Amino acid sequence: MKNQWTNFYTGYVIVKANGKGTERLINALLKKGIPIWDVKRAGTDSLVFCIDLKEVPKLRETVRSSDCKVTFISGKGGPFLLRRLLKNSGFLAGSLAFLVCLFVLSNMVWGIEIHNANPETEYAIRKELDKMGVKIGKVQFLLDDVDTIQRKLSDNVSALTWIGVELKGTTYHFQVVEKKQPKAEKKLSPQNLVAKKKATIADMFVEKGQPMIKVNDNVYKGQLLVSGIIGKEDTPKVVSARGVILGETWYNSTIEVPLKSNFSVFNGDEMTKHFLSIGNFSLPIWGFKDPGYKHFEKDTTVRPFHFLKWELPIGYKTETKRSKEDIVREYTPAQAHKEAAKMGRADLKKQLPADAEIKKEKILHTTNQNGKVKLIILYQVIENIAAGQPIIQGD
Amino acid sequence: MAPKWGQNIKNLLVKTMDLPQDVMMDLPRITLIGQLHIYIENHRGLLTFTDTEVRLMLKKGQLLIKGNEFVIKTILPEEIMLQGRIDQVYFIKE
Repeated sequence: MKNQWTNFYTGYVIVKANGKGTERLINALLKKGIPIWDVKRAGTDSLVFCIDLKEVPKLRETVRSSDCKVTFISGKGGPFLLRRLLKNSGFLAGSLAFLVCLFVLSNMVWGIEIHNANPETEYAIRKELDKMGVKIGKVQFLLDDVDTIQRKLSDNVSALTWIGVELKGTTYHFQVVEKKQPKAEKKLSPQNLVAKKKATIADMFVEKGQPMIKVNDNVYKGQLLVSGIIGKEDTPKVVSARGVILGETWYNSTIEVPLKSNFSVFNGDEMTKHFLSIGNFSLPIWGFKDPGYKHFEKDTTVRPFHFLKWELPIGYKTETKRSKEDIVREYTPAQAHKEAAKMGRADLKKQLPADAEIKKEKILHTTNQNGKVKLIILYQVIENIAAGQPIIQGD
Repeated sequence: MAPKWGQNIKNLLVKTMDLPQDVMMDLPRITLIGQLHIYIENHRGLLTFTDTEVRLMLKKGQLLIKGNEFVIKTILPEEIMLQGRIDQVYFIKE
């Protein structure tokens, strides 16, 4: 027997035959090899049966040579469904438009939530986000990715120690840890001032307390500079010693500068390609040219599309090629010397507090070996060497 | 005499070689599934079809099926599948 499930897809018609020789009509159809099914008697002179849609012309032929009349009752199956679907295409278009809307809306930013921030910091963060374009209603994959937002925020908002950025669905969550500003020192806690390091006193300005040293004295680390105990010996008074003691300190540093060094630098040429990535496959949509860089670094970012809470395997991918150039830098020994001195100074500045000042530098030793210039330099620095030391009053 | 000869040879073949008779001798093969279905192979056309009675042409004679609520589920040049409540099946010789 023939499989009949395919009939549904190719379509079939329900036919009513009226007349005397309905059986003869069926026999005639059988002879022509036209399959029919579900034959039912609908009255004394009429039959109802089903026939394939593509056999209808043959049916007409057969009917003409018989004494029956045929009427079509209804059509079933694929082609008829399709026609009805087209007739009601409004529904189809509507449901499609709904899916598209849902898809677009799932890829937008719908909320920015900042946790654990005080109002000022929150305001600063919001302002910074606005500058980056992270706003409600923006399309997610056109914005920076989470890591970049995190980096930019922690670079640009000074009050932040750390910020965690998380994208949950359509909402950005920012988890803020603020810098604790040091509390103002208690003015009343009694203290001495002691030397932070070995130095020669260059200048001093004592606001409060009893100075124990003079200018040009050599002091060692931990030596008492300004005492917080003032007044007569028999009636001492304890105060919080304050002041600036400028001492001359010494720093030794060794700097090595190679005469010849290789650098790899970006020369600023870059080229971005845009792709639509589907699974592992990338469909280029913009930027087809090959820039032809000899050396380059490739940055690839993939921003997946979302549908409701799900991440789709489809995404928007950009690939940036940055041209690189190798540069060889060569110094003459004299230049290297100069460079080393500059580097040494810069290094030292980084170590020293902001108010320190490099007074003098003296090159102790220079060697030029193995293509490297090595300098040992002694720096004389003027800096504040006073450090508070609380006075613990026992009985 | 010729058809008789042929028939005799066929009879002989069926008996000696144990071949199925319906294949060799154009007899109808009828399968009944309870009273619900009747499946007839090797018929030669539909003679009458009503709700209560179906008459089929065979090579020799006719087949009459009586019952209720008959529907022809499928009909092909040599096969027919009938659905309904089958009460009686008659062979009518002509």
